[in-house]
Amino acid sequence: MATNGKSELTFKLTLEIKNNDMKSNYTIRTAKHFSLWMIVLIFLGCENDPKDFQEATYSTNGEVFIDGFSPGLNYAAFSNTVITAFQADSEVTYNNSSASIRIDVPNVNDPDGAYAGGTFFTSVGRDLSGYDALTFWARSTKAASLDVIGFGIDLGLNKYETSISGASLTTTWKKYIIPIPDASKLKIEKGMLYFSEGPENGVGYTFWLDEVKFEKLGTIAHGQASILNGVNKIETSFNGVQSNVTGLISTFNLPNGIDQAVSISPSYLEFTSSNTAVATVNEAGVINTIGVGSTVITATLGGQPALGSLTINSLGTFTKAPIPTRNASTVISVFSETYPNVPVDYYNGYYAPYQTTQSADFTVNGDNVLNYTNFNFVGIQFSTPTINATTMSHLHVDLYFPNAIPAGATFKFEVNDWGADAAFGGGNDTTGSRTYTTPTLVSQNWVSLDIPFSSLAGLSSRAHLGQIILSGTNIANFYADNIYFYNDGSIIPPVPTTAAPTPTTAAANVTSIFSDAYTNVSGSNLNPNWGQATVATQVSIAGNNTLKYAGLNYQGLEFGSAQNVSSRNFLHLDYYTANSTSLKVYLISNPGSVERSYTLTVPSPGGWNSVDIPLSTFAPVNLSNVFQIKFDGNGDIYVDNIYFRN
Amino acid sequence: MKKIAMKNSLFLALTVVTLIGCNSDDSKQELDNRNWQLTWSDEFEGTSGELPDATKWAFDTGTGNNGWGNQELQNYTNRPQNIAMDGNGNLVITALKESYQGSQYTSARIKTQNLFSQTYGRFEARLKTPYGQGLWPAFWMLGSNVDTVTWPQCGEIDIMELRGQKPSIVNGSLHGPGYSGGDAITGSYALRSNRFDVDFHIFAIEWNADTVDYFVDGYLYQRFEKSDLPGEWVYDHPFFMILNVAVGGNFLGNPTPQTPFPQKMTIDYVRVYKEVN
Repeated sequence: MATNGKSELTFKLTLEIKNNDMKSNYTIRTAKHFSLWMIVLIFLGCENDPKDFQEATYSTNGEVFIDGFSPGLNYAAFSNTVITAFQADSEVTYNNSSASIRIDVPNVNDPDGAYAGGTFFTSVGRDLSGYDALTFWARSTKAASLDVIGFGIDLGLNKYETSISGASLTTTWKKYIIPIPDASKLKIEKGMLYFSEGPENGVGYTFWLDEVKFEKLGTIAHGQASILNGVNKIETSFNGVQSNVTGLISTFNLPNGIDQAVSISPSYLEFTSSNTAVATVNEAGVINTIGVGSTVITATLGGQPALGSLTINSLGTFTKAPIPTRNASTVISVFSETYPNVPVDYYNGYYAPYQTTQSADFTVNGDNVLNYTNFNFVGIQFSTPTINATTMSHLHVDLYFPNAIPAGATFKFEVNDWGADAAFGGGNDTTGSRTYTTPTLVSQNWVSLDIPFSSLAGLSSRAHLGQIILSGTNIANFYADNIYFYNDGSIIPPVPTTAAPTPTTAAANVTSIFSDAYTNVSGSNLNPNWGQATVATQVSIAGNNTLKYAGLNYQGLEFGSAQNVSSRNFLHLDYYTANSTSLKVYLISNPGSVERSYTLTVPSPGGWNSVDIPLSTFAPVNLSNVFQIKFDGNGDIYVDNIYFRN
Repeated sequence: MKKIAMKNSLFLALTVVTLIGCNSDDSKQELDNRNWQLTWSDEFEGTSGELPDATKWAFDTGTGNNGWGNQELQNYTNRPQNIAMDGNGNLVITALKESYQGSQYTSARIKTQNLFSQTYGRFEARLKTPYGQGLWPAFWMLGSNVDTVTWPQCGEIDIMELRGQKPSIVNGSLHGPGYSGGDAITGSYALRSNRFDVDFHIFAIEWNADTVDYFVDGYLYQRFEKSDLPGEWVYDHPFFMILNVAVGGNFLGNPTPQTPFPQKMTIDYVRVYKEVN
């Protein structure tokens, strides 16, 4: 009698006694019964010998789906997939089996889901360590390339996720083999089979799987793992940079002599950093750079070295680019942490075959930095939508050159406008460019460049900017940050977005003609008909009542009553114009309509301009009897806060 | 490898076969009891990078006639990168994918022609094959009168050939007048859960006046008898041996871009015996 059985028997008896407490007669009989058994058990030696305890073993059943699902299998569809994509099919089966797995892949834009995908998993793990492959038969309604199929997705840690991609499905049944990278790891595996497939050229189709099982073929050979797809990569890094070891695959030769690459999870590999003072790598393949120097990240699978390596040259503490300080309202940002960025198509267009530039962008302590290597030229594009930089005066870029700058090195910016059609080409695109050399270009220090649009000759419009193209000679590698357009104040938008500055002079010292801040001289005519062409209106600018003179030739203001401003010292006014080239203000006095002008600077630099004109400059106007103000000149003028003050 | 008295070895091999049952059908083979005496061998004990013993092997080089008659793609050389000993008791023939004198692949082919030949006997090699679409390793023999009576009249015995895209299957054949090339007499032997490119296996023929027996690891998988042949039995004169790795050709098709290179055939030894009574 198995000793396990003995222990079970004891346990069962105990339970039964408790359950029978209610029935006294029965209890007594049972108790006697129990005692007898106990005695017997004791003599047989019911002391458990540790040797007799067998480890819980997991089923070695390798079958997943033969004529139906093997026991204990569940199915879960991935999110965003058509959840009804999978069904069992009894009509189309392999080798006359009674059922197959049928997957209906949706068309593009199917409202039920973007693709078909899901996982078959068990509730209790299986011991798959005796197998060397997951095999299955498949056919499809049309030739197709199966995006992903594999095993190891258990809806938990997915620790040993393994897959092949691009398996060619055909309209006839064919056998497919997914080699197991290291079966000794799969002692308790729940993820039996998973797949993911989107439409082919936008069109859905159906495929079937059958005879899905784990097998020990014995005819898979020459397994070779790789990290970084077998490439020896070199990277520059800094303290605080975190990255992942990518390109994890293991390649096997299948029974037909053809190699099959298998994508593997990091858990199959053991990672090593040769110098852990420079960077560490954990069992998930996450690399953390922590110090200055060099280290090489390598890996093994099942004790055998993987091809490929990552050499990290850490430069230590990373110096951030200077943090921009401009007011966000004056900026259109393409790449920065300080401002929200407009939609950007890409920061590297990979213009094959002439472009050699690669990207190795990194993040240090939350600061994203563009890193261009192998540099000849590279394009940054923003087409949906294009950028209207009409009210911007400059392009700003921060550049960092980690290597010494050789003689003759150049760095060029090209800004491309795509014309009124806001599309590349069409005969209306224009370009402006600017080239920098030493001594502007220095190494090992951020170089902040402010490029005025006025220096980008050839760019005749900037209403539909689509690209910035960077190019250079003798510069192999550089970082870029804080790429944005800004207005230094020299570009005046046609309509003010802010109100004129609020006056601060005490009301007792003011005779106000037009202002929201003071009680104005009552009864004034703000638009007397003098036969002017000017269209004078009042508009609200940021909640502030403002005079607008559109298309000025001349315009008057008639006071409600003549004012004695001889005790005042200044005429104050705020004015704003983007397009005027000539603007004068006049005081007019009686008797005799004596007038005197004062020339105002136009256009108004920085937007609103505030002036305090000494009243003495208006001589011979009679300051004790001023009754009109006049403006003349051209353009569109906004005026506010017209008052006399001390 | 040490030289072993063949008689004991055969017995040992038979015993091993019986016990393990490493053949396709589990029944014990009833094999004739034959006594063998070693007449020639090469254990390939040279130093790493050394070319094979020139007193035992000569080279076939170049592209032959129309890719050696089969539209093979390789250019055979006598350079150590294509053929050399490895210092571990093996000879390694390496097929390389490289541009060389107008060919896209190089490899090597060695033969005992004019150095050693024998009529009848046991000819065996212990080797591990290359793999991949288009790789064609072979251990075979030609009649020494090939230059006078020409092929196929001279006779050809293929002890082991393998198509790289089917690494679990080896073929054994006879080519003779009226039954040559595509009409050769041929048979194959397959490993059920293994491949010939991951381990060493022993390939042998035992040949006498009436039969040619083919063995893999001591298992007799086919026998061709004089009376079986659709044409003349031309196996009564000396034959010499050839070892090579061809690339592409009519026998198996050309490599694809996916065929991994370089590819190697590793030969532990070649031994020849004659039967003694």
